[in-house]
Amino acid sequence: MNRDEIPPGTLYLLILKTLALQRELHGYEIAEAIQRTSDDVLQVEEGSLYPALQRMLIRGWVTAKWGITAGNRRARYYQLTAAGRKQLALEVSQFERVIGAITRVIQTA
Amino acid sequence: MEWLKELGRRIGMLLHLRQFRADLEEEMQLHLDLRRQQQAEQGMSLDDARFAAHRSFGNATVLKEQSQMTWGWSWLESLAQDIVYGVRAMLRTPGLTIVALLSLALGVGANTAIFTFMDAVMLRSLPVKDPGQLVVLGTAKDHGITDALAETNLYSYPFYRQMQQRNRVFSEVAAIFSMTNVVHGYVAERSETERMQVQLVSGTYFPLLGVHAMMGRMLTDQDDNSEGNHPVAVVSYSWWTRSLSRDPSVLNKTLRIGSTAFSIVGVTPPEFFGTKVGESPDIWIPLSMMQAVPPYWGNYTDNYSESLLLMARLMPNVTMEQASSNVNLVYQQISQQFIAAVPNNPRTQQARSELPHKHVPLTPMATGISQIRAAFSQPLNILMTVVALVLLIACANIANLLLARSAARERELSVRQALGANRLRIVRQLLTESLTLALAGGVLGVAFAAGANRLLLRMVSGADTLPLDVSLNTTLLLFTLAITLSTAILFGTIPAFRATRLQLTAALKDGRGASGNAAKSPLARAMVISQVAFSLVLLVGAGLFLRTLVNLNNVETGFNKENVLLLHIDESSAGYQPDDSRLVPLHQQIERQVSALPGVRAASYSSFTFNEGSWNGSVYVQGYDNNKDVNVPHNVIGAGYFAVMEIPLIAGRSFGPQDTATSPRVAVISQTMARTMFPAGSPIGHHYGMGGQQHANDIEVIGVAKDVKFGSLDEPAAPLDYLPYTQYPGYLSDVEVRYTGDFASISSAVQKSIHSIDRNLPINRVSTLDDQVALSIIDRRLLAQLSTFFGLLAVFLSSIGIYGLMSYVVSRRTNEIGIRMALGADRSRISWQVMREIVLLVTVGIAIGVPVTLAGSKLVASMLFGLQGTDPWNLLTSICLLLFVAILAGYLPARRAACVDPMVALRCE
Repeated sequence: MNRDEIPPGTLYLLILKTLALQRELHGYEIAEAIQRTSDDVLQVEEGSLYPALQRMLIRGWVTAKWGITAGNRRARYYQLTAAGRKQLALEVSQFERVIGAITRVIQTA
Repeated sequence: MEWLKELGRRIGMLLHLRQFRADLEEEMQLHLDLRRQQQAEQGMSLDDARFAAHRSFGNATVLKEQSQMTWGWSWLESLAQDIVYGVRAMLRTPGLTIVALLSLALGVGANTAIFTFMDAVMLRSLPVKDPGQLVVLGTAKDHGITDALAETNLYSYPFYRQMQQRNRVFSEVAAIFSMTNVVHGYVAERSETERMQVQLVSGTYFPLLGVHAMMGRMLTDQDDNSEGNHPVAVVSYSWWTRSLSRDPSVLNKTLRIGSTAFSIVGVTPPEFFGTKVGESPDIWIPLSMMQAVPPYWGNYTDNYSESLLLMARLMPNVTMEQASSNVNLVYQQISQQFIAAVPNNPRTQQARSELPHKHVPLTPMATGISQIRAAFSQPLNILMTVVALVLLIACANIANLLLARSAARERELSVRQALGANRLRIVRQLLTESLTLALAGGVLGVAFAAGANRLLLRMVSGADTLPLDVSLNTTLLLFTLAITLSTAILFGTIPAFRATRLQLTAALKDGRGASGNAAKSPLARAMVISQVAFSLVLLVGAGLFLRTLVNLNNVETGFNKENVLLLHIDESSAGYQPDDSRLVPLHQQIERQVSALPGVRAASYSSFTFNEGSWNGSVYVQGYDNNKDVNVPHNVIGAGYFAVMEIPLIAGRSFGPQDTATSPRVAVISQTMARTMFPAGSPIGHHYGMGGQQHANDIEVIGVAKDVKFGSLDEPAAPLDYLPYTQYPGYLSDVEVRYTGDFASISSAVQKSIHSIDRNLPINRVSTLDDQVALSIIDRRLLAQLSTFFGLLAVFLSSIGIYGLMSYVVSRRTNEIGIRMALGADRSRISWQVMREIVLLVTVGIAIGVPVTLAGSKLVASMLFGLQGTDPWNLLTSICLLLFVAILAGYLPARRAACVDPMVALRCE
């Protein structure tokens, strides 16, 4: 199976979107969700989620709290905040603008 | 405010760093475990599953680091590392560190201490509302009472009211009595009197300053609108604390001062000490009560009883120029009106002609009025320069020591640079080390300053400690921080940049570094040279001030200051009126009774002894050029005064029982008065008078006394006359007793004797004439003691600098010395080589220092007495001392160089 590295700068977007769909997820679940939703095309270097999550915590886009997994282990669950939702909208529109522009360029015959 | 919340989160993380790391660790571990589980479920072996999980996760250590760095505290972490590293490096060379720390602590501490005094005496603003808007009319340098007709520094109460009403530039005008009334009053129902400093103020004083009561109320204009019927007083916070132990019922208490009971109506806030720096009144009483407060100075309604200082608050948007022109206009109007009201005064004509030339300067009073400022501002400026130079010398020393150390660390630094350390990173680390050193020195310095401040306050105070706030405050700590940082930059930067400017390969190849380069560093030499130059300046200054003090101590005072007990009595507070007929018998009885005590050789009384102010007046002498306006100080004395003071009479007689209130008026004049103001020949039998020509026959000269110092030790011989107490009765205050034996027992016997005459007569300021004389040169003593201390400190620091540099040079050249010796150079030649270098450095330093010293000595000329700033002996002595110490400091390393065993030296890598 061919897996592609995610385009640079889109990691926040992916995490934000993933969290927007679920109430709360821990790190492993976020990685899984991204891979699953992208039909295993998008490959996140899983560990790099964590520095990104830290940055999002600092910016106040997500909050974290400790909970218990199905396997009865402690896990840190992340949740989107209002500021995070706003950021998601912003990143989505930015991403669409860029992708739209790129698409127009490559489709020009 | 988003950034603020963000900062809050970042700080929160910093405070829970351990928790943060554990959480991250646990979270990542969970991730890895879950992934491994998932892979295993897909059929991988356990080992493969773990490997796959790690592969897809990435480098966990790096990721943890990245996560932590995201929070933006990595600078702090490396700073902490640098500090720890720096402290360890310092501990490796404890000798160097101790020298550096001590010299820094002394340097920073001395600067802080002197600055504290500058701040307290000269710089600090009054703790009142908008002190920048406050001005004083006149120079505020005079204090006393005058009846001059066109006076510009002291004003009468009617003048104050006129000025208040007529000016158009001040939002408020207030008046305070130029002198403090020191009284002995009773607190509430107590039976013992207590000494109190009373400041008489106009009712507008507190409103002008915008000072609000901490308890009760402050005085208002209502307390000052009619004379004699407002017996109210405001007390200071410190008096309330001291005398009433902060009794909350203070507002129900009364003070009995003179024959009046004053109700206490308020307590001032703790920070308020009045408006005179170096004085802090205990009690404020409205001017309307001036005739009720002993010694009953001043007059409420007389246009020409001028004893007040006027202060005012500028209206907003009024400039000093506008204010000055309006004030002078109003001054002229009021003065013309006042002069017109006294057409028969003999001085009226003269006053009329002088008035147009009078000008009232406006003096800003943001920092308050001060009599001690005049005495101490120049010594403090000089001392500030001195301690700044000492700090520079200390910095040069430390820079040199660091330079030597960083040269020794050349190899370590080049290895680190070769391994890829950023040069700036290394510079930063070295600077952090310097900063750590400086801050440690700064902290020690502050502790040192706190102790030094108390010592200094004792040194500048007489019997009563000056009420100056010299505790540490924010301004001072900021000042200290600023100088500490500057020292770190001064001594740290150059060594840091030098240390990293390396020929990497050369440094790595050669184990001992490029031996020539660092050792011959012109920088290190320049620093030693400047140390020597600065030290010379300080040493010469110390010599000048020390000899000034010696000269002053050797001044012929004209009286014998040894073994004289001096005390002050307060007749006014004991209920004697100024014209009381009991005063003369009281003093005569004191004189008689105290003289008869065992151990007392003579006793008398006078209005002054030495350096206690004066009562001056113009005199008219028959046959003298009386157009010159000569003010002669008068001293009213008891019959035994000359005997007690051992002032010899040159001609005529002293006062005796024949000189009574009704006999012809007589006087003893000083030698200089006789010589300069009387016709040639003996003045005995000649007449003169106080005031104008019509008084010229009033007083007959019956004796001539040898000249004495009266106001200060460095004054030239001047006219002075002595008047008998019987003919000029009034309050006198000074009692002087010539004694033999133990001061303490005589003192208590004398006080007991006085109290047996009048039990209620307050006695205070018991001291000796010797102390009184010493107190008059306290500023010069301070300067001499401190400049000597700092001069020697400077020389000591410089010699450490020389010793350090030379030891370093010698240790770096051990190899070379060994070769020379192996080739046959003898020991004396080797040590001369080292010594030659020291002598050269010191000579250059002295050559630079001499012109600087000569220029600097001009600036301190006014503080010198009995010698010139350019005194060649002083300069020569300083140079010799400096040379001697420098050569001694250099001799030890030189001898060590000469004692090197060639074989050891050659083997030495």
